[in-house]
Amino acid sequence: MTKNNRSGDNQSAFGELLFVREVEQFLFYEVGLLDDRRFEDWTDLFTEDGYYWAPAEINQPDPASGVSLFFDDVPMMRIRFARLRHPRVHSQIPPSRTSHSISNVTAKRSGTGDRVEVEARFQMLDYRPGHDQRAFGGKYEYVLSRGDGGRFRIASKKAVIINCDDVHLPVAVPF
Amino acid sequence: MAGYSNDHIASLVRPDQVHRDVYEDPDLFDLEMDRIFGRSWVYVGHESQVPEPGDFFCTRVGLQPVVMSRHSDGTVYVVYNRCAHRGVKVVNEECGNVGRFMCMYHGWTYDTNGDLDFVTQSEGYPDLEFDKLEHGMGRVARWESHHGFVFANLSPDGPGLREWLGENSDFLDDVAVSAPDGEVEVTGGVHRYLYHGNWKMQVENLIDMYHPAYSHESSSAKGGQQFSRREGDKGGIQFFEKRGKVKSMDGLGTHALPNGHTWQGGLPPVENMSEDHRAYVALLEEKHGPNRTREILIKKRHNVIFYPNMAMQELNPHIRVIRPLAVDRTEIFIYPVKLKGAPEKMFRDQLINLNRTHSPTSLVQTDDVEAFTRAQEGMMTSGNEWVLLARTGPQESLESGRIRTTGTSEEGMRNHYRAWLEYMCADRPE
Ligand SMILES: [Fe+2]
Repeated sequence: MTKNNRSGDNQSAFGELLFVREVEQFLFYEVGLLDDRRFEDWTDLFTEDGYYWAPAEINQPDPASGVSLFFDDVPMMRIRFARLRHPRVHSQIPPSRTSHSISNVTAKRSGTGDRVEVEARFQMLDYRPGHDQRAFGGKYEYVLSRGDGGRFRIASKKAVIINCDDVHLPVAVPF
Repeated sequence: MAGYSNDHIASLVRPDQVHRDVYEDPDLFDLEMDRIFGRSWVYVGHESQVPEPGDFFCTRVGLQPVVMSRHSDGTVYVVYNRCAHRGVKVVNEECGNVGRFMCMYHGWTYDTNGDLDFVTQSEGYPDLEFDKLEHGMGRVARWESHHGFVFANLSPDGPGLREWLGENSDFLDDVAVSAPDGEVEVTGGVHRYLYHGNWKMQVENLIDMYHPAYSHESSSAKGGQQFSRREGDKGGIQFFEKRGKVKSMDGLGTHALPNGHTWQGGLPPVENMSEDHRAYVALLEEKHGPNRTREILIKKRHNVIFYPNMAMQELNPHIRVIRPLAVDRTEIFIYPVKLKGAPEKMFRDQLINLNRTHSPTSLVQTDDVEAFTRAQEGMMTSGNEWVLLARTGPQESLESGRIRTTGTSEEGMRNHYRAWLEYMCADRPE
């Protein structure tokens, strides 16, 4: 192995590190928007035909096989979040506070390299004053694409919480 | 269990009021589990949930765990989920397929109809003659089905299923005939949600057309119209006529039937039929002809309560099972109903709409359960011991004990309490 080659390897390993770091930074930003209740900005991260899906069964093959906790396209997200802004959204008075954390991120390019598949583990704490704090957690799967200026957009986000088939009290903020 | 006299129970229900104890008293809740869920027909599940021999589905009748299973002879059974030996719950998964049920504790096995199959080391019982039935898991007293909808009754006394269903059995006929194949199946998963309130609050809410504009205002857009809840409709329910003026839902008549059953209707036809919907109508016409198809498509009753624990709606057809856990804790399970033979896309749209209205993250039911939770808390106050169910509208009595009145009348709830009293005060059969 020549010196040159080794530095090439280092370069590509370094590039890979930067790439994963870039993806992570995007995910942190994305869930931060939810915790900051910037729901409209969160919606804008999705591509026009993007969707957010939280299955109701642990091995649910797709959103057409059965009901889901969440299965929102962008128009539905806008309706959902307009409601959360309504002055008389009774089940969110007072509103829930959330804290999302992400770890175990893996990312790989696919197709021409503009498409990125991401897997991660997450936790979301959810507290609505007057109610017990809840902890949700599980696995995220994203398909990201590069939009204007090379910035990531979300083509799809799937959130499988490990107790998706439990009997739940109301959930207002996406996992 | 508190020894409440019939007089005491009767004093809790007035013609237009009920005492808060019916929602708050844990002893009354225990009595309800015994006398209502132990005497009435109670919805268990749909036969399509156990299509193959050995398939089982676990649920509860009141608080009692039961198994609905399809036996090797193809028949559906409803048995208690209990080992005859030391009382251990035998089946521990919600659904699946087995050759036999085996108790984890000492390895006794049961056939898929609950009959005793095998006792391990049976030489240790020299004085006992084992009987398949007596030492089986135990069949519930009665179970029957109509169009695959299985109901169980823990009591051997009282009317048969069809008599108890009354007009509600016509509704199940209507649902079945609206499927191009003439039958429905329950294969679209389940929404499960919980609230910290009494089970009857959900039952009452289902016949309450007074509350939507107030409870669900946040689900409407600027013009006061709710989002579209059905494929082909541009928008949903109109809550407001103009700024600040609530549109009355009296037009959706309330029908009160014997045994606490109630229904409301009807459902307007779809505004703009999609291609799939037209294909669906064509399938019905092929089978029934245009006149009968037109009748089938008129949803006279679209929201039907099978008192005490089940309700069905024809808007995105679904079954709602009310599962009491404690006086102040209730689970709700929502099962989409698939019209067999209809275009797949219709079912997909139905699932998507049910996510929006009935999931734990829904834009609608979450505000209902908020009301139930706050009612459970509000009724803790001692300042007013009575809950008002006095709202009326023009009312007429029809044949076979049916009362027809307006959509926002509280007659449906008063009807529930007439049945409640009958179950709760009837003399014990023994
Ligand atoms: Fe409601």
